[in-house]
Amino acid sequence: MKRFKVLLPSLILILCFCAMGSVVWADEHPELSDQEKLTACATCHIKATPDVYKEWFGSVHGIANVKCYQCHGTYEDFHVTPRETNCAPCHSGQFGKKPKGKTCWDCHPAHHFFIHK
Amino acid sequence: MGLSRREFLKRTAALTAASYVGINLPFKNENTSQASDADSWHKGTCRLCGAGCRLELGVKNGKAVALRGISDSRTNYGYLCMKGMLFYKLMGYNNPDRLKKPLYRKSKKEPFKEISWDEALNIAAKEFAKAVKNHGNNSVAYYGSGQALTEETYLFQKIFRGGLRTNNVEGNPRLCMASAVGGYLTSFGADEPIGSYTNFERASCFFIIGSNMAEAHPVLFRRVMRRKLDNRETVKVINADPRVSPTSRIADLHLQFKPGTDLALLNAMAHVIVKEKLYDETFLKNYATFRMGKKKEVSFEKYKEFLKDYTPEKAADICGGNITPEKIRTAALWFAKSEGTVSIWTMGINQRKRGVWANNLIHNLHILTGQLCRPGADSFSLTGQPNACGGVREGGGLCHILPGHRLVKKDKLRHQVEKLWGIPQGRIPPKPGYHTIAMFEAVNLGKIKAIWINCTSPAQSLPNCDKYRKGMSREDVFMVVTDIFPTKTTELANLVLPTAFHFEKTGVYGCTERRSQLTVKAVDAPGEAKPDVWIVREWALKLSKELNDPVIKKCVEPFLGKEPDYELPKAIWDEYTQKLTKGRDNDLRGATYEVLKKLPDGVQWPAPTKEWALKGGTDIKFVRGLDPLADKHAKDQKPYQFYGPAHPDKKLWIWLRPQRGPEEMPDSDYPFYLSTGRVIDHWHTSSMTGRIPELMRANPYAYVEINPKDAKKLGIKPGDMVEVASRRGKNILPAKVYVGPCEGMVFVYWHDQKESRMINRVTKDAFDPGSKEPEFKICACKIRKVSGPKPLKPFLVEMKT
Repeated sequence: MKRFKVLLPSLILILCFCAMGSVVWADEHPELSDQEKLTACATCHIKATPDVYKEWFGSVHGIANVKCYQCHGTYEDFHVTPRETNCAPCHSGQFGKKPKGKTCWDCHPAHHFFIHK
Repeated sequence: MGLSRREFLKRTAALTAASYVGINLPFKNENTSQASDADSWHKGTCRLCGAGCRLELGVKNGKAVALRGISDSRTNYGYLCMKGMLFYKLMGYNNPDRLKKPLYRKSKKEPFKEISWDEALNIAAKEFAKAVKNHGNNSVAYYGSGQALTEETYLFQKIFRGGLRTNNVEGNPRLCMASAVGGYLTSFGADEPIGSYTNFERASCFFIIGSNMAEAHPVLFRRVMRRKLDNRETVKVINADPRVSPTSRIADLHLQFKPGTDLALLNAMAHVIVKEKLYDETFLKNYATFRMGKKKEVSFEKYKEFLKDYTPEKAADICGGNITPEKIRTAALWFAKSEGTVSIWTMGINQRKRGVWANNLIHNLHILTGQLCRPGADSFSLTGQPNACGGVREGGGLCHILPGHRLVKKDKLRHQVEKLWGIPQGRIPPKPGYHTIAMFEAVNLGKIKAIWINCTSPAQSLPNCDKYRKGMSREDVFMVVTDIFPTKTTELANLVLPTAFHFEKTGVYGCTERRSQLTVKAVDAPGEAKPDVWIVREWALKLSKELNDPVIKKCVEPFLGKEPDYELPKAIWDEYTQKLTKGRDNDLRGATYEVLKKLPDGVQWPAPTKEWALKGGTDIKFVRGLDPLADKHAKDQKPYQFYGPAHPDKKLWIWLRPQRGPEEMPDSDYPFYLSTGRVIDHWHTSSMTGRIPELMRANPYAYVEINPKDAKKLGIKPGDMVEVASRRGKNILPAKVYVGPCEGMVFVYWHDQKESRMINRVTKDAFDPGSKEPEFKICACKIRKVSGPKPLKPFLVEMKT
């Protein structure tokens, strides 16, 4: 019983992580009302994902005002991990030079966008 | 005094913080195609600011599906902003709100009815003919746009001037860059910037004044940002603005002055430059004179005397805000001593009661220090719209100018145009027409009986717009509007004609840096929408019959029988460039459609020959060896030849211009300054960007920005509903509270179409006596909290038939 008492919270925790994982990796934004959808992404994410917000804000994307929806799409076309084609409007020239089998963010870490990792 | 990474992060962290309230907006747009889906790509130019970013439209099965930048274009090197990457969502049938059929109503109180093109053009011809017959030639007018293609503006103005014999030809560029034109002509003797964007990568100091280029010209800002980030210690950025904006993030020095004190600040910088002997004596001796009037030349000593009123101490007192004498000295030293200084400005300088003077005083700093004509040095006004320069400044789209930078009032130049058009001498009246505010004043008074408004929405974009909406609503004023979506102006029209959008027709845009670029039709327009040039040609033919005037037909004769998607605009471009720009400073004879198609980023004028155009044209004007006209017009061996048509002495003029405040100052009744401006996600009146879900959601309403100190005093919290009232009108807007505007000033975005949030109902219609450009940027207002946060609806005009 004592063993079960230790295991149960761990199990719950694991289940929670799995559940969170499923939210994070699904290409769906947590459900929002139409009213909430009229909120700029950064307004919530400054609190919801402060580290990501901070990284973006200090990056060249942040300074140049490249906004969340330009890479991640909007609610009808939302991707937690952007499709690489979403990089193309600005970086189509680099696509041809990209090493085979690598994604853009393998070398240019997401939200920091250093020149190279 | 370099800017550390930490400071970058900290700077204006509150800029993105906001308060939001909102409600349902069922977007009808479901176009979510991606770049990789396209099966063909078509080169063109972005139409959503004056930068001239080159891009490619992806088309699949005849449908626009994506946009991407062109990486070998020297305007944008492949980068686009969010508007540039998303406006394909407005093309063809991608957006259900597009206007697809001509709409008519006899009375403005009636609903619109769909009619055929033949009926529509007959009505337009009869109404304009009726106005001319009953009230004279000056009872008709054209009000165009810096977003119209050059071919369109050129043809419209040809019909109005040569055909209808009126110079009532105006356009919305009067509202945004007329002061810049006045500044260039009076300081340098020639309109449009001397240099190019290439100076951004070569400058050591940027002086950005009255421009939030991070939002209004994002891709150009990116170039300045890159230059600064790559050279943090050696490149200095000075940002002078009453409001801290996203542009301020890259600034080493922010000069936050009270609205309307810019002239004192600029004179004080000149004072420091002169006192510290930082001026370029040789440059001054070779190329400059000092002026108090066009014909009143004065000495350098007199100028020094004039500057005594503008010591940094005196100016700091006038400017208020965070300005100190030390900051003025630092700015002046950085400006003068850098290896290359580029000044950049936009509406903060142009939309002033003394906008031309403000332009002159920036140019003064460059002439004094010789920061011109060499790499990294330029006095560079950014233009707001994609074709305000190419179409309107160069193509004859304002009441006082004819194509090729010719003045209406000059007999010789007017007769040149008549001859080139093959119409009788004397056909174009010698008197300039109504400038924009005067034109809509004339509409108010019923002096104008028929007006054609093309590709713009003055019912929302004019200052003090309620006053002018009354005139546009008059039953005895016949109003035609050509556009792609319903707007606040189509609401007041009798006849609404649906036009083809960008990439649905062919034509040229000329951007800020004297660069002409071609966009060729790639997709079909929806429904019965037509290219504007077809509309004008067909209307002119009917008008010729109605007025029994063969000269009107003569104006379109060279274009008869041409198919409208390519051959017709090409024929118009050929006439304009080969005949009208020949021998002018904007010589574009080398920039034929064939040449423009060969180059990734078009041609910068002067480009008198194809050989020169194929090299890209002229990067820096007035420099021998770099500008063919500088060699052609050279009078001596000096390396720079300022051959501009407006200065007979072929010199640069340093002007003695005193400080002048705005027309309306805050007082005890209206204690705040009101200023207005853009946000990055929206374009002008949001008739286009409001229909792109990503862009609308990012900024669904206009806000009023309030300094936290003022908000505290008035008990206003983020999201509270606040009334902004002036002597002319009021808005009720949600509040954004942050350290953006200086204390005593509020700032409102002007894109919102909802009447209770349409800030031009509050702004003032005072204008610069020189440029006639209105002072949008400053008026007096009062603010008060009306309620706590309330749910708001984003709003777009819908067409009711």
